[in-house]
Amino acid sequence: MHPQTLRILALAAALLATVLFFSTQIDGYLSERMFTRISTSAAVILPIAVGQAIVVITRNIDLSIGSTMGVVAYLTGDYLSGHPELHPVLVLCLAMGIGAGIGAINGILVAWGRVPSIIVTLGTLALLRSFLVEYSDARTITTASLPQWLVDLPQANAFSIFGIDVRVTVVLALASAVVMGLCLSRLRAARRFFAVGSNPDAAVMAGINLPMVTLLAFVLSGALAGLSGFLFLAKFGNITVVAGMGFELKSVAAVVVGGVSILGGSGSMVGVVIGTVLVDTIDNSLTRWELVSEFWRDALLGFLIMAAVTVDTFMSRQLSRLSRKES
Amino acid sequence: MTKLGIALGLVASLMSSAVMAEAVKATPGQAVNMVLLPKFLGILPFDQADRGAQEAAKELGSTGTYQYIGPTPENSAAGQIEMLTTATTQKQNVVMLSNNAGDQIAAVAEAAQAAGTKVVTWDSPIPSGKGESLFVAQVDFGSIGTVMADMVMSMTGGAGEFAVLSASPDAANQNAWIEAMKKVLAEDAKYKDLKLVDVVYGNDQSEESYNKALGLVDKYPDLKVIMAPTTVGIVAAAKAMQDEGLCEKVKVSGLGLPAEMVSYTMNGCAPEFALWSFVDLGYLTTYTSYLLATGAIKGEVGETFTAGRMGDFTIEADPGREGAKRVLMGPFTVYNKDNVEAASK
Repeated sequence: MHPQTLRILALAAALLATVLFFSTQIDGYLSERMFTRISTSAAVILPIAVGQAIVVITRNIDLSIGSTMGVVAYLTGDYLSGHPELHPVLVLCLAMGIGAGIGAINGILVAWGRVPSIIVTLGTLALLRSFLVEYSDARTITTASLPQWLVDLPQANAFSIFGIDVRVTVVLALASAVVMGLCLSRLRAARRFFAVGSNPDAAVMAGINLPMVTLLAFVLSGALAGLSGFLFLAKFGNITVVAGMGFELKSVAAVVVGGVSILGGSGSMVGVVIGTVLVDTIDNSLTRWELVSEFWRDALLGFLIMAAVTVDTFMSRQLSRLSRKES
Repeated sequence: MTKLGIALGLVASLMSSAVMAEAVKATPGQAVNMVLLPKFLGILPFDQADRGAQEAAKELGSTGTYQYIGPTPENSAAGQIEMLTTATTQKQNVVMLSNNAGDQIAAVAEAAQAAGTKVVTWDSPIPSGKGESLFVAQVDFGSIGTVMADMVMSMTGGAGEFAVLSASPDAANQNAWIEAMKKVLAEDAKYKDLKLVDVVYGNDQSEESYNKALGLVDKYPDLKVIMAPTTVGIVAAAKAMQDEGLCEKVKVSGLGLPAEMVSYTMNGCAPEFALWSFVDLGYLTTYTSYLLATGAIKGEVGETFTAGRMGDFTIEADPGREGAKRVLMGPFTVYNKDNVEAASK
């Protein structure tokens, strides 16, 4: 079996085991309500996890993604309070556009400035937050200043099956993962992300425009952070300068648990979706679990991420040893 | 003997009240370089404190400089330590600090004092009191406990389960308030039917606070009130209850900003919450710091001074922190649908 397929099966099994375990621990766990809770909470993180995955596949990392999301949520909310009549589709375009613009700055610095992405995005992480502090002038975006359709959006159902409500926000987030997943597996051009990540030198030799591919990865990551920012604005309504803080680490956690290699060159969107849902399920379940105190929750999450990375490294090493023996 | 004792006591108290009446007044126009250092920049309460500080600095006619500087949110603790160090090397006369770095900042504050830069804390003190000249306390930390308990009382009708949604597990001020509330609940029989079922932390993040609030209602089906003594937590909890259509069943209360809370108070999700004036807090802190930096007061227990429009204040021992001194501002305002709209403007 292909190692990627193995990895996804293992992840799915881990998710199933987690759900089964908590269903024995928490009353009313296997309910429509719990599904809504976890799906809507994971929906906010999923787009940035997808964006982070693309960047990580190219052997880079985007630490500015949480700040990008905060800036987008704030600027979009701010613009809407002055222009409440703006069409919802245009609002979405505005949010993703701002995100893409920020991503382009990161991308240009990494691709042509030849500065390591961890340095560039660590810089923009702080810069964007400072910009937000200056720009916001300590004003809070409140639900009262947002158009009603946006405030109602998190409660809107896309469809229901067997009494389970699937919210519009969940569909939007999943759509971003499905589209990116299809592109990565079907589009020849999108395969370049993998080529660049697994061996940059070989990719250049093969005639791939390395800086262009890097730029594109960051632009996509920014645009998807914009989508997350839009969902964040809709869901929480009250936006201050701290919006999106810490989401860069959440996205890295989801991506790494989802089996995207931190060394670049491999990963799948199915894995990212399961990784995001798994991390969020554990987080939300621990909150409702009597046995675990507040202080152990973060430690458990950290342990999970370490375990995922260790298993990943171990498995890849074994597999490459096996394939070497075969050849 | 006893009579004499009483008489002596009377004389002593008369004398001390005579001393207290002679509140130290600021001599305007002196050069005091001041820095107002909030936990981080970009949120409303600290900007309001800045407004109050500017008002006071203008009244005092300080010929020195006044700066409002602070770290960005993601760099709060480290940034504060760095900025306090910089202020010391710049030989600023006084730094007014809302501490977010716990006791980690104590060493730097002590170094500042040694170099002649006074450190006056406000909003959130240095827990050990080390390196701090004075703490300008917004309210008596013990009395917040009573107010929180009373708000739960009025919302539950006197009996029922409630939970606390706090900021971070190591926030010194929130922890002190929650402890004060627990003490009040245990000691006063009128609260005997209130049951505090859980304390959770949203780390002052919207999404964490929102998810924690939903976690509480799932975990405790009979929950009647979520008490959030943090301005981020209270809004997020109110939004969560509104989104889930639970406002009839679970009320939200705590400490919040009228401008952010007005819609939830009007629609009944958060019928009552409290807060003090951050403008006044900045104003009083600036007066205190100016007097201290000019040597008009020494920062000793029992000294009384006048802080412009806010009247007279006396330095006292901080009951919550051994060996530390405080200036107590108080009181706070309880907001409900009658006064929240006017305050949110």
